[in-house]
Amino acid sequence: MIEAKNISLVYGDGTKALKEVNLHIKRGEIAYITGPSGSGKTSLLKLIMGMEYPTEGSLKVMGQSMVKEQASNIRKLRRNMGPVFQEFKLIKGRTALENIVLGMRFLNFNPKEMEANANKALEKVGLSHKRNSLVEKLSWGESQRIAIARAIARKPSLVLADEPTGNLDIDNALNILDILTSLKDEETTVIITTHATHLIRDREEGLFIRIEEGDLQWERREVMAI
Amino acid sequence: MGKTGGYGNMKKVAYNLGYFFREARTLFKIDFFPNIFSIISIGLIFFILALVISGWGISNYIIGIVEKEAEINVYFNDGLQDGEINRLMEDIKRIDGVGKVILVRQDEAYNRMAEILGKEASILELFDDNPFTSFIEVQIQIEEADSILDRLERMEDIDYIRDNKKVIDRLQDIVIILKVLGVLAVIAVGVSTLIVVSHIIRQGIYNNREQINTLELLGAPEFFIGFPFLLEGLFLTLVGGILASLLLILIFKIGYGQMEIALPFIPLPPSESLTINMVFLILAMSGILGIVGSLFGLAKHNINH
Repeated sequence: MIEAKNISLVYGDGTKALKEVNLHIKRGEIAYITGPSGSGKTSLLKLIMGMEYPTEGSLKVMGQSMVKEQASNIRKLRRNMGPVFQEFKLIKGRTALENIVLGMRFLNFNPKEMEANANKALEKVGLSHKRNSLVEKLSWGESQRIAIARAIARKPSLVLADEPTGNLDIDNALNILDILTSLKDEETTVIITTHATHLIRDREEGLFIRIEEGDLQWERREVMAI
Repeated sequence: MGKTGGYGNMKKVAYNLGYFFREARTLFKIDFFPNIFSIISIGLIFFILALVISGWGISNYIIGIVEKEAEINVYFNDGLQDGEINRLMEDIKRIDGVGKVILVRQDEAYNRMAEILGKEASILELFDDNPFTSFIEVQIQIEEADSILDRLERMEDIDYIRDNKKVIDRLQDIVIILKVLGVLAVIAVGVSTLIVVSHIIRQGIYNNREQINTLELLGAPEFFIGFPFLLEGLFLTLVGGILASLLLILIFKIGYGQMEIALPFIPLPPSESLTINMVFLILAMSGILGIVGSLFGLAKHNINH
């Protein structure tokens, strides 16, 4: 699903966000990326989404080479992704349902499928009763869950969630993580960044990636089938 | 990937049409007052253009009428007998581009001048005898004037030819000036409309940059993001065009009424057909310029990162 070979990312001001990172994330895998603020977690997600391009090395996402010259193909590739942004990026003046449906309008869903997917996603995040609420009237936690609902309703191959548990109490945070990890059953690859290591420490399965000052270490935990 | 395949692009556009129109309406509402002022500006620009083109059309029409009625006067040698005059008239009739050929006798020439002079006609009484001579009045097609004059000059028994070609040439010069002015006005209006519309669209894009950025990150195609802006631009110019058309209809009604009273002898084209043609032209231009201006606005922003 994702193959990174010696990728580095240096920003225009000379900041080295990532240093010669090697990474392989399999299809249907859950990857947790942890590290302190400013360690390079969001930079790695930006590279995977094609919002930035590696300054060195090669990165392939779903077989697509992530280079500037491939910008239009990368844009099409995003249609197979379900991003959950740190700042949610919900569109104001629209209801929760409209925001979720808007994320699907240009995909290959017919109107009935869009509505069914949206309702299912709202149910999954426990906000069916807020479907007709304007997003600016939602609380922080509710907005976060609507952003997740928008991502999963698209039935993407890859979900990228940037700090989806930020600012949530522990129960809500664990609930969000459970929703995201449950996507594994649908063969969806999920990448979650978080600085709250205590939330994922005891998880038995997944790829655990630690980034500090642009350097990356990882550990794969697998549940052995009996 | 979990997506339904084979759902046609046309169907996608069809079921998103409602969304595109709602978005265009939202875009219009966000910048409501600037958009209203833009409509007024575009309307006035189109109105000025319509006036210039109408003026050009009316002048062409009048010139056309004048050209059709162009005539020259042929003075023949003294002492020609009636039979010789008739033969001369027959010869003139046979020239290509010549219409009616009429003999104006000495008395009629005198009367015509008296009519032209009006109150001043008493001046003619100073002459002991009728100072005018008989002549042949020849209606001609103006475009054939040079060859007709050439043929007449080579004819025997013709003493002098008085043509109105200079007047016609001057009128044609005026038409050329009006044509140039018309083309300049069309260019000026076209450029102004494109600038106004593309600026409005860019402003709309700027005001909605967060939404556009989100849609880009979700992988929305350029067409999907840009279409509501294009609809907004089209709406602004079309409403501006309708405004200009209404003003024009009003001005034509007043103008034609005034002309019929003040200058009834000036032949004007039928007001109904002129109005219909101008309204059609304004609406077609507003539609085209709206689309082109919006595309400029979208292209300048370069939605595709």
